Amino acid sequence: MSPGPGAALLAAAGAAALLTDRLPAVALLAGVLLCVCLRAPSERRGVYLFGALTSGLGVLLLSPFLWSSPDGTILWTGPTIPVLGPLDVTTTELWEAGLNASRLVALGLAFAAYALLLDHDRLVAAAGIARRSALAVALATRLVPSLERDATGLAESVRGRGVHLEGARGYATLLSPLMAGSLERATNLAEAMEARGFGRSGVTRAPRPPWTLRDRFALGLAALLVLVAALWL
Amino acid sequence: MALVAVDRLSFSYPCSSPALRDVSLALEPGEVVALLGPSGSGKSTLIRALAGLVPHFHGGRFEGRVVVAGLDTRDTRPAALAGTVATVFQDPEDQVVMTIVANEVAFGLENLGVAPSEIWRRVERALDSVDALHLWGRKTTELSGGELQRVCLASALALEPRLLLLDEPTSQLDPETAMLFLAAVERLGATVVLSEHRVSRALELATRVVFVDGGRVVLDAPLGPALQWLARERPLYTKVRGSETQAPSGAVVAALRGVSFAYRQAMPVLDGVDLEVRRGEIVALEGPNGAGKTTLARIAAGLVEPQVGTVELRGRAGYLAQDPGRYLVKETAVAEVALAVNGDEQRAIAALERAGLGWAADRHPRDISSGERERLALAAVAVAEPDLLVLDEPTRGLDPERKAGLGAWLQEYAAAGRAVLLATHDRDLPAHRRIGLCVSDAQASEERSVGV
Repeated sequence: MSPGPGAALLAAAGAAALLTDRLPAVALLAGVLLCVCLRAPSERRGVYLFGALTSGLGVLLLSPFLWSSPDGTILWTGPTIPVLGPLDVTTTELWEAGLNASRLVALGLAFAAYALLLDHDRLVAAAGIARRSALAVALATRLVPSLERDATGLAESVRGRGVHLEGARGYATLLSPLMAGSLERATNLAEAMEARGFGRSGVTRAPRPPWTLRDRFALGLAALLVLVAALWL
Repeated sequence: MALVAVDRLSFSYPCSSPALRDVSLALEPGEVVALLGPSGSGKSTLIRALAGLVPHFHGGRFEGRVVVAGLDTRDTRPAALAGTVATVFQDPEDQVVMTIVANEVAFGLENLGVAPSEIWRRVERALDSVDALHLWGRKTTELSGGELQRVCLASALALEPRLLLLDEPTSQLDPETAMLFLAAVERLGATVVLSEHRVSRALELATRVVFVDGGRVVLDAPLGPALQWLARERPLYTKVRGSETQAPSGAVVAALRGVSFAYRQAMPVLDGVDLEVRRGEIVALEGPNGAGKTTLARIAAGLVEPQVGTVELRGRAGYLAQDPGRYLVKETAVAEVALAVNGDEQRAIAALERAGLGWAADRHPRDISSGERERLALAAVAVAEPDLLVLDEPTRGLDPERKAGLGAWLQEYAAAGRAVLLATHDRDLPAHRRIGLCVSDAQASEERSVGV
């Protein structure tokens, strides 16, 4: 599938997850997106799946305590905390937490599928009037694997000197050089792009394969998905 | 009429001492200029000035004038000079914009507005000229340093510029690919400014030599007189270095048996490799880009477990990664070096002075030049005096004088009863044994060498 319709389909899945109020529908979308993400190479998908699933789990665990609803059956009554109020958990709160967690997971997985499976170069090329913005998004997407690689390199560099990093605190010491390295890389990249004529007028595009019937079908499906989620789900 | 005219150029980066002082040059069409000089002498800054990136991109204090193809760089953005000028920078990892190799090479052509029907043809020709056509559909994130460098070179060649600026363009290339690339540069017929620490390569191609030291041009002469000047004033720039070394027979410090490793299934980088390194010995791993030198070095250092085979390390290993300047973690140079010796600043300062970086002890590692960073990283690994010192491309960014110093130091280090394993393309470094790895089956084929 061409990356343009693919991106539209993923965006539609994300939008549908936000528009619908039905937990089974959102869970189904998240499940489908998870299956899509599993097509990516295992060594690359781990960090994305971990991010999407743990943030969903965080919402599921925390939001019943942070958001209170008078409806539903009380399942557990806890102490009253200043500012937060009574810490109780009701069936309605759990349902809402599950819905919001599933939405977040679906959005995270849609992004993961975008980052892992789409050809960002062709997406940039397909962008008509917003090529610079599309390129900025594509470069930002590549930040995740770049940071991952830099973090591995930093940890290896320290291990190569016979120093062993232990625990979260040990690894936290690498955050500052990781950020500094990332900024330096961004500056160098910007310089290289300018030297290669980025920002000039009169840009052309290398010829790309035309859209297939499947691409057109994917675009139609994307529109239908948003419409169904908005009107019926 | 000269293609490039540099008139009394002086430049200082913000809050820094002058990087260039009163430089004047005129480059004629078709000239190939070898730009030589020690690390941190201002070569990269001069290249950036010719590309218009200094002062537009970096800011700082700019005096004098640079005119390229009739355009004053003070009034012309670097993007507007692109096409007339193409630049290949030192770090290939920091130049890549696109995800797929062919698209990366096409990026500059698209920016220049080349006719769409021309683009893929020029991409193909440029990749072919650096023997990288097989990388066409590969992801740039999956390439080795040498492969990435070839892609960056192809990206510059595809633009068919009138002025080609190359800042250490072959530092990560195996000798065959480097020669192939330089031949492609020669065929281009453009004016070329080639900054290269592997001087012999630059001198083979050059018609003229410019030597920069302390930001000043101290030599600007045609090749013949320049060679005489170099032989007299900077003999290490013209001599083949290295000394005859006897193979010692110390105790084994690292033994790898039947080691195999694959990053992707069914594509082994190493397949049943045996390697033994003894105390007192310097062993060099050689081979083309992608042959598995880095992987074998990392396995020998105990940083990566082989998927098949065994690794026996008798003692402690230290490992210096390729491009180590990127992986510095502390706020000052002295703290960086002291990390490996439990914060012992006295040992750290001694190691910094040995590396010629005593002056930089309190500087932030990212505030020194890339060549100096590489030396700092080496000091940070060697300070703990590991039994096996593993160095991956340690001569990148080193000028001939520093490289000769490194070679002498490695011999001393090994003679003290420790061992050194090098992964390198650089035959200027001394070694008792050179082990060739090949891409096809990644089997090690040992070649005994007499000295260097």
